[in-house]
This record gives sequence, C-alpha cells and structure tokens, in this order.
Amino acid sequence: MSDLDALCRAALDAAAGDEHLEAYAEWGRKTDVKVYDGRVESLTSAEARGLGVRIIDGGRVGYAYAADPDPDEVRAVVEQARANAVLGSADDGNVLPEPEPIEPLDGIYLPQIAATSTDAKVALALELERLTRAADPRVTGVEEAQYGDSISRVAIRSTRGVAAEVERGDCWAVVSALANQGDETQTGFSFELARAPEHLNLARCGTEAATRASRMLGARKPATEKMPVLLDPYAAASFLGVLAAGLTAEAVLKGRSLFAGKEGAAVAAGVFTLVDDGRELKGPGASPFDDEGVPTRRTPLIEAGVLRGFLHNTYTARRMGGHSTGNAGRAGFKSTPGVGPSNLFVAPGSLDQAGLLGKAGRALLVQDLIGVHSGANPISGDFSVGVTGLVHDGGADPMPIREAAIAGTILQILGAITDVGSDLRFFGSTGSPTLLIGEMTVAGS
Amino acid sequence: MTAWDLDDGVLRAVLSAALATGGEFAEIFAEDRDSTSVRLEDRKVEELVSGRDRGAGIRVVKGESTAFAFTNRLDRDALIDAAKAAAAGLSDQRRVDATDLRRERETILNPVAIDPRDVPADRKVAYVVAVDDAARAEGGSEIRQVIASYAEGAQRVLIANSEGLLVRDNRTRTRVSCQVVAARGDVIQTGYHSPGASAGFEHLDAYPPAAVAAVAVRQAIVMLGSVPAPAGEMPVVLAPGGGGVLFHEACGHGLEADLCHKHASVYRDRAGEKIGSELVSGVDEGNLPGSWGSFAFDDEGTPSQRTMLFEDGVLTGYLTDRIRARAMSLKQSGNGRRQSYAHLPIPRMTNSSILPGRDDPDEILRGTKKGLYAKSFGGGQVNTATGDFVFGLTEAYLIENGTITTPVRGANLIGNGPDILARIDAVGRDFEVWWGVCGKDAQSVPVTTGMPTVRIAKITVGGTG
Repeated sequence: MSDLDALCRAALDAAAGDEHLEAYAEWGRKTDVKVYDGRVESLTSAEARGLGVRIIDGGRVGYAYAADPDPDEVRAVVEQARANAVLGSADDGNVLPEPEPIEPLDGIYLPQIAATSTDAKVALALELERLTRAADPRVTGVEEAQYGDSISRVAIRSTRGVAAEVERGDCWAVVSALANQGDETQTGFSFELARAPEHLNLARCGTEAATRASRMLGARKPATEKMPVLLDPYAAASFLGVLAAGLTAEAVLKGRSLFAGKEGAAVAAGVFTLVDDGRELKGPGASPFDDEGVPTRRTPLIEAGVLRGFLHNTYTARRMGGHSTGNAGRAGFKSTPGVGPSNLFVAPGSLDQAGLLGKAGRALLVQDLIGVHSGANPISGDFSVGVTGLVHDGGADPMPIREAAIAGTILQILGAITDVGSDLRFFGSTGSPTLLIGEMTVAGS
Repeated sequence: MTAWDLDDGVLRAVLSAALATGGEFAEIFAEDRDSTSVRLEDRKVEELVSGRDRGAGIRVVKGESTAFAFTNRLDRDALIDAAKAAAAGLSDQRRVDATDLRRERETILNPVAIDPRDVPADRKVAYVVAVDDAARAEGGSEIRQVIASYAEGAQRVLIANSEGLLVRDNRTRTRVSCQVVAARGDVIQTGYHSPGASAGFEHLDAYPPAAVAAVAVRQAIVMLGSVPAPAGEMPVVLAPGGGGVLFHEACGHGLEADLCHKHASVYRDRAGEKIGSELVSGVDEGNLPGSWGSFAFDDEGTPSQRTMLFEDGVLTGYLTDRIRARAMSLKQSGNGRRQSYAHLPIPRMTNSSILPGRDDPDEILRGTKKGLYAKSFGGGQVNTATGDFVFGLTEAYLIENGTITTPVRGANLIGNGPDILARIDAVGRDFEVWWGVCGKDAQSVPVTTGMPTVRIAKITVGGTG
C-alpha cells in the first residue's frame, strides 16, 4: 500500500455509514532549472503532497482539502467536506462513478527522470541556451532557457469501490530567444515535451526559437489585405484551446457552448477531424484513468466536419444520459473534478507546412495569435485576435508582419479550413498540425 | 505546527543549513493559508470548498544564482532537509552563519474587521444566492446564465532571512463576482463584475448583491444591442477603471525589473527619458490600505511602498525585488511577490494606476468627433520586448460627434506601449479601480489597476465591421 493509498484509506475510514465519499491524494516531486547568460539563474527542487475529499449526500456536494495532512487532519478534512455538503444544492447528477476495469498505460512513467542527476539537468538547460544562441547570428540573447521535470502520483479511492493509482513522469525544455537588429528586438519561443530527458530534442528546440525570433526582424504593420491564412501548430493549438471550452458537456449544460444542439450537423470543413484520446501516448495528457478514476478512451468530437459529441465526466454524463468519456479533470487536490480534454488534437493530413504554403499561393503564415483569451469568446463564437507572422508570396524572403488582426467567428473559421498539415504537435492538452484557412481579412493599416 | 509558530532557534538552524555550501543569502518563507470558496451556477450552489494549504520555501542566493526548495511540512527536520536540498544547488564549501533575527514591528496595513473564517458558511452561500436572484430579477428573460461566486483567503506568512530580518504578515482577502450570460436571438454576450479587497467579510457590506449583479447585467444586456466593431485607426477614449488594464499590460509589465535585466523590456535603461505625453503620471502602490493588491510587507519582507513610474511622461522608476534591485543598482521597491511558498519571488505590480489629470471627462468625449469608447477590457497580451500589445474589449461603444452611441463587439486595441503613452492627449480628473488576478511566469497574484478617463489620439482598432 502506497503512502497515497494510505491517505485515501484513512479518509474512507472516517466516512459515516453509507456515506458516498471519494478521496483523491496526490504527490509530486519537481525540478526546475532556469539558466541565463551561461549560469544557473534558479534551481528549484521540491516535494509536495495533498488530499482532497468529496462527499456527496443526497445529490449535494461538499469538498475540503489539506496539504500533507496527518491522521487528525484527515478526519478534520472529512468533517469539513461533510459540513460543506449540507449547504450545497441537491442535483441528481451528483454521483460518484462506479468502478470500471482500468487498462494500465505503459510508457507514461519512465525511470530516466529519477535517474538523472541535478547536475545533468542543469547541463541540459545550459546546452539549450548555447544551442539557441548558436542557431542564428542575429540571436543576441536568450531571455530564459529552462529544463523542468515532474514525477507525480495520484491515488483515488471511493466508498463505491473505485481504487486507482498511477505514477507518471514528464519533462520539458523551454526557451525564449531574443533577436536584435538596430534597436529592434523580436522574441521567439519554443518548447519540447517528453517523458525522459534524453528524448528532448534540444537542437530542434533552440533552432526553432532562434528562427521564430530572427525571422520576425523588420516586421511592419501591413496594409489591410484579403488572403489565405495558415495557422502554424502553435497558433492552431491556441485556437483549439478556445474550441475545447465549447466541446465539454459542462459548457452545453450551462448554456456556454456554441456547439450545443449541433450534434450530427456539419460545424467544420470536411478536412477537419478533432479527437480526444487520453490513451494517446504522444500527448502529454495521457493517463489510464481520469481524475475521478474513470478509464480514459478515444472520443471523436468532430469527424470530417460533423459534430459527434462532447466530453463528459460522471456528472455531465448522468445529466445528459450517457457514459463518462473519462474526461474528469481537476487542477490538483484543491479542486473538485470538472470536465476537460486529455489530449485534444486535430487528425493530421498529408502535406507538410511547405506543401501547404505552396498550395496557398500568397498567404499569411501566422506564428502567434495574440490576445486569444480576451479576443476569442467561446460562448458567442466571436473571434478577433492580433497576429504576427510572415506573408509568403512564393519567393525566398517572406515579409514579417506585426500589429495586424484577423477576425470572424469560430464557426466561420472552422468552415473555411481548406487543408490540414501533417506536422501535428502537442502543446499541453491540445495538439494540432498547421491549418490552412481560405481567404480572411488581415487587418492592418 | 503553523508558520507563525516557527521559533527563532528553528529558523536560525534552517538558515544556517541553507548557507552551508557558501550561499551569500538565505531566506525562509513559510505560510498557512485557509481558503473557502462558494460557486453558484445554473441556480445551484455547485461548490462549497474549504481547505488549508501550508508550507515553506527556502532559497539560497549566490551572486545571481538562486537555489530553491519547498516542502509542505513545517517541522524542523523537514525544513532542514529542504534547506539542504536548496544548499545542494550551490557548490562551494565555505560556510557562513546566519545572524541573529530581529523581529520587525508588525504593521497592520489592511485591517480586518470581520475574520471571514469566523463567519458561518451559510451566510456566504446566502450571498451568492442573492447575487443570482438579483441578476435574474434585474436582467429578465434575456438572462441565460448567472455564475456567482464568493472567495476568501487568509494567508499568514513568516519571512526570515540570513541578514536577520524576521517579518510576519497577515493577508486576508475577500472577493465576490458575478458573471452573466445574456442572449437575444443569435447574439450571446457576457457581463462580469468582481470587486475584491484586502479585508474581511465586511467587504461584502460595501458590495451588496444587487449592486454587483447590476453591473454585470447592464454590461451583458447593453452588449446584446451591439454591432460588429469598426476596424482602422481612430481616437480611443478609455473609460475610468477598466482602461487601467491597458496601462498594467502595456507599460507596467515592461517596468518590472526582471524583464529589463534580461533585455526583454522596451523600457530598459530609459529612466529619466520622456516616453509618454506630459499628461501621463503613473504609480504603483502596494501600501494602499485595504486594496486588493496591497500587503504590509512583500514576499521578501520589504515594506510595501509607493513607486512613481512616470512623472509628466518621464520614466521615473522600476519595480524591483531583492535580486533585481542588487543586480541593477536600483532601490528595493517592495514588489517581490510570489503566489505561494512553492514559488520564487519575482517583481510584480500591486495597485498600479495612471494618476488623475485635469480634464473634464465629459469634455474629453465632447472633443472626440469620431472614435471608440473602451469601457471594459477582457484582458490582453503584450510582448514586453517590443512593447506590442493586443487587448480585447468586452464593452465598447462608438463615439459620434462627441457622444457615446452604439455598443460594438469584437473590438481589439492593437498598438505599442511607448507609442500610446506618447499619444495620450487628454487625462480626466475622475478615477476608478478595477480588480484582477495577474499571471506571470505561471504565478498568479491579486492586483488592481486604476485609471481616469484617458484619450489616446490614435490607435489601431481591430474589428469585424
């Protein structure tokens, strides 16, 4: 029995009678190295543990948590959750999930992170900084080069019989390059995710950050023009992040989804297929079960442009009469489970980015969407954001642009996608290849 | 064991262990945080969550390198282990001992009249239910959804360092919010209001449920009648309060010394230079009593203070933490903040504002023939290295012949921080505050922004109309 399972069992032992109680315990150890100018700027190493308890009493939910509780504190957490449940609103949808068999998911924990010394992790961050500087002569600095990793365990146990535990390891490299020309500075960002430090491609990461910074030097505000727009995987993934908010059943139930009532209808161009798959190992969100202990699976959301369904946790499935898709998610032991994507990604097509550019003719390749959190409204579907990127016109020297904007609605943009690239990449819980969108107005001066 | 119970002997032992490998400076930041939140949506009290977080972060600094470890145990052994883990991040063997601790006088900047932890939870639930009722009564049949919330946090911190500093601070904060979704035909719009304070439960007396709901409802309903925003360059009048987000994002972040130190700010090395219009004076004030972004001591134990950022358009100050102040020979401004014991302090804004000027706000509007009135910002994004920014407007109107007319949706402001500071041609004598949570380097801290009515002579508006 692990320490986490012992915490969960202690909480279950404090359950009263036939009370419905779920205990969620997590432990994490992380390392974070930031280097600047050839030396360590900060090195963080830490361990933390916590317990969250959810009690459902007659459809009312109460929740309480504590960081690293001792046995007395575990009992106090249970009592607090019980007291909180009294004041919640009764809702038939509030039930704990029934236990289901969980298929282990090999490969989400690799031993290399734990086996790598701190010195070696520092060396990785320094190497990333060096490679970034060396990648392009116009790179004059690196704002930050970072290596980080985390090993974490989660245990879930409930009075209904759920008992699940998983260990995972993740590591990442992040770099932000500064390129200079005269008094102009441009920044370029890149990152890599992996499950073992040796799988991080630092050279690719450094080169990409350097390229993304230096190719923007000389960027000007363009004249307003209609042209095809390509969202590179970074930009496309941030667009997907907005979609994701409307693809949860929680958003549908609460009148916050622009996709509500559109199941079976075409909501995007036929080239567009969007899937959530918690068992896809290429995605960083892979896990054998979700944050309620329900097994994860593959859920098609939009297939060839047609809306197929929504992401569910136990609550939304019960409210809407379906089965949880294993998409309960929480921000750690301090929060109750909501609904969110595991690995949400666009199924890749056949052309690489260069191929899409060749097909598009004169077109804007967007490398950053600016202001997505404010300019994109997942409820109304309004989408109006700033863009930076490069106008390609068949020649060798694309023109960098800044202070431009694109606007429309999310459904218009989805409907106008004419091709999907082969270059799928994951950024957190979302992943996308380059998306080619038909003509849009790129607003400048 | 709680943070405030840590005795001097333990603290000195921890600091000494942290310095065992030659660090020049060691610090322990310990905290206890009790939080309660209530969330109502869809007419149901969905969540009542209470919890306790606790832990300590120990950092060791040598030159410009920092090693950091944190733990959520506050017993002596766990703290010494964390101190050793931090010390291991630095390599030398020379040993320095921590000096005696001097207990700083506790300053009560943000008095708490009613400790929210002493208030029965049913009153907190009753408040959000009343907000929901008020919003639905006020907005009528066009209200599709109401999300009301209440949140309190009582954070007690203890900071001790190897220079002998020992500080305790009590930060109790309370915040309420109302978000409204309204619909008319195919148009869906939202409204939001969320006042917060460094205060106890008495904060709710200043913000009765109906008043909070009314602001959110008005915004959503007004925007239902909106038309797509125009695009192009035009004068923009920023409404008092919400417009401060623009100053926070486009100017404030670039004045945070960590970004300047790394050549990642367009404001680097420009103290004394006239950047903005002479009408612009800006300030950061962590010591505003009772304000949402205030504290008596920052998260490194430096007393909070008022820092002039711009005076009559001239750049006069930067926001620093301890490390950046040393590295750049700047004053420690009391802006070293961290989200929790699990984070390193970095320079952050507190309560930042553009100070009121002399113009009559009505005159500013009357003097604007054709433009945009920006009332509420949805947030934004800025590239601090270039100063380029984009901000979404959640509530905006056309200005026609000096009068606010049709509401517009989907508008963005696109520009450059130093450019727009220079293009400010009117500053009102009014002033309002907006409350927010600012994110930087994956750390969130409470902030406010303050702003009078301000006109920018010309800025690019991105819109769809």
